Amino acid sequence: MATPEIAIARPDQLEGIKDSYEYGFHDSETDYAFKAKKGLNRAVVEEISDHKDEPQWMRDFRLKALEHFEARPMPKWAGGHMDGIDFQNIHYFVRASEKQGRTWDEVPDDIKNTFDKLGIPEAERKYLAGVGAQYESEVVYHQIREDLEKQGVIFKDMDTGLREHEDLVREYFSTVIPANDNKLAALNSAVWSGGSFVYVPPGVHVEMPLQAYFRINTENMGQFERTLIIADEGSFVHYIEGCTAPTYTTDSLHSAVVEIVCKPGSRVRYTTIQNWSHNVYNLVTKRAVAHERATMEWIDGNLGSKLTMKYPSIYLMGEHAHGEILSIAFAGNGQHQDAGGKCVHIAPNTTSTITSKSISKDGGRASYRGLLEVAPGATGSKSKVVCDALLLDEESRSDTYPTIRIGEDDVDVGHEATVSKIGEEQLFYLMSRGLTEEEASGMIVGGFIEPFTRELPMEYAVEMNRLIELQMEGSIG
Amino acid sequence: MTETSTTIDVCPAAELPAGATRIVEADGRKIGVFNCDGALHAIEDRCSHDDGPLAEGPFDPDSCTVECPRHGSLFDLRTGRPRTLPAYLPVETFSVRIEDDTIKLEVS
Repeated sequence: MATPEIAIARPDQLEGIKDSYEYGFHDSETDYAFKAKKGLNRAVVEEISDHKDEPQWMRDFRLKALEHFEARPMPKWAGGHMDGIDFQNIHYFVRASEKQGRTWDEVPDDIKNTFDKLGIPEAERKYLAGVGAQYESEVVYHQIREDLEKQGVIFKDMDTGLREHEDLVREYFSTVIPANDNKLAALNSAVWSGGSFVYVPPGVHVEMPLQAYFRINTENMGQFERTLIIADEGSFVHYIEGCTAPTYTTDSLHSAVVEIVCKPGSRVRYTTIQNWSHNVYNLVTKRAVAHERATMEWIDGNLGSKLTMKYPSIYLMGEHAHGEILSIAFAGNGQHQDAGGKCVHIAPNTTSTITSKSISKDGGRASYRGLLEVAPGATGSKSKVVCDALLLDEESRSDTYPTIRIGEDDVDVGHEATVSKIGEEQLFYLMSRGLTEEEASGMIVGGFIEPFTRELPMEYAVEMNRLIELQMEGSIG
Repeated sequence: MTETSTTIDVCPAAELPAGATRIVEADGRKIGVFNCDGALHAIEDRCSHDDGPLAEGPFDPDSCTVECPRHGSLFDLRTGRPRTLPAYLPVETFSVRIEDDTIKLEVS
């Protein structure tokens, strides 16, 4: 059978996008407890440490990290994309509320109303095992189901985790991502605030997800949460994070560090639905170690932000460890989604899969940047990398920067990449079944990202499809 | 096959007190020698992560570690093994001793 010719949809069919970002509102700051002046220096870092009344080792860690940040140039491989960030035009610490709520009624009204609009309390009631809600620099609400607490599961904001479980935090903190790993990790290490601390005891399965939600409200804000998850032997946890911010004409910066330790036989799934407003630089370092027979899964969805640079990594340290990275990126007008993933096979008989799906429209740019490395001695390792890009018009762009380093002969490694376009024939077929052109395009995009949405809990898959529909709205002229 | 080793004089023992470090060259390789509160250790001056210099990084004699100055991996000087990522392979270690008040390094 002859292969049908795929023609590109006409640009006039696809141009134009409505301002469909529905989370761009902001609240008043009149009742804020503290707002640091803009700028970064030693005094600001000390001020953050003072506010948190931290142990001396953490204060020293921050100050050393600041030195690393100041000494490092911007990474050259970033191609100048980060050069627009003015690090002195950012508020590095903003405390919206003096007290963290254990019930939503204890959260200040303005902030509670915002999280109501975002649907967090409702989601908590229906299908979550625990929720952390960060607003600006700190977590304003945190709760975990009592039965999990009784089983020894720790789910705290990182500041509380450090206060209440200092020894455990100190044992693992910064061991997966050292302060000097890269410039942005150094920045986070110097000024981190908020984020989650999760510990799951041996054999405990947290069946319902834990969710963290990150909200920026202030203009020129820097949010630098720090998350550490330790899954002890044979345990399981699914952690979900979401984020939004108001739309401003000036830029904000979100630069998180996420460290995950999967002990033998454990499994951690970390799901992200990133939906920052289009004035947020999103520069995040995420890395996990998986020991023998452990499984680590990064399910990473990027819809929002001005520029995202994020490559979740998995170091497969123990025999039969498995890593899975599923990344989708949607780049619209003015957006650059530079996403991907890294898997490093260190022990024998380890397996991994990296699947990257990107959609570019209205001049948006999506890039896959990834690493697959097999260390000497990691015999019998298997890995598959698949990168699929969907271009919705002539103005949009897709790039792939794969790096593969194989230090062992007895391995099975594959890399596949495709770039495709929505063809007129595909549209015609669906429209002949009664769909409008917009519905047909939306259905093709929905099908393209289905490998991602099918991995989400049902409520999140519904939300994800809705967000994609919003992104697609108005794309047909 | 028998491996041959060369013994190199590093310096008089008094010149490398507790907490001090010194980098020497042997057989075209740079090697860092460290005094961890009286115990001497030597590792190759090459981070296994990206082959950059290692021994001039911050040295903590209490924990007997050196931190890679380029990406922050912490190496245990007793074993050469990294305690933190991004390095995951050990670096080479060398035998070092004091003989006749001189620190001697054995390079194979």
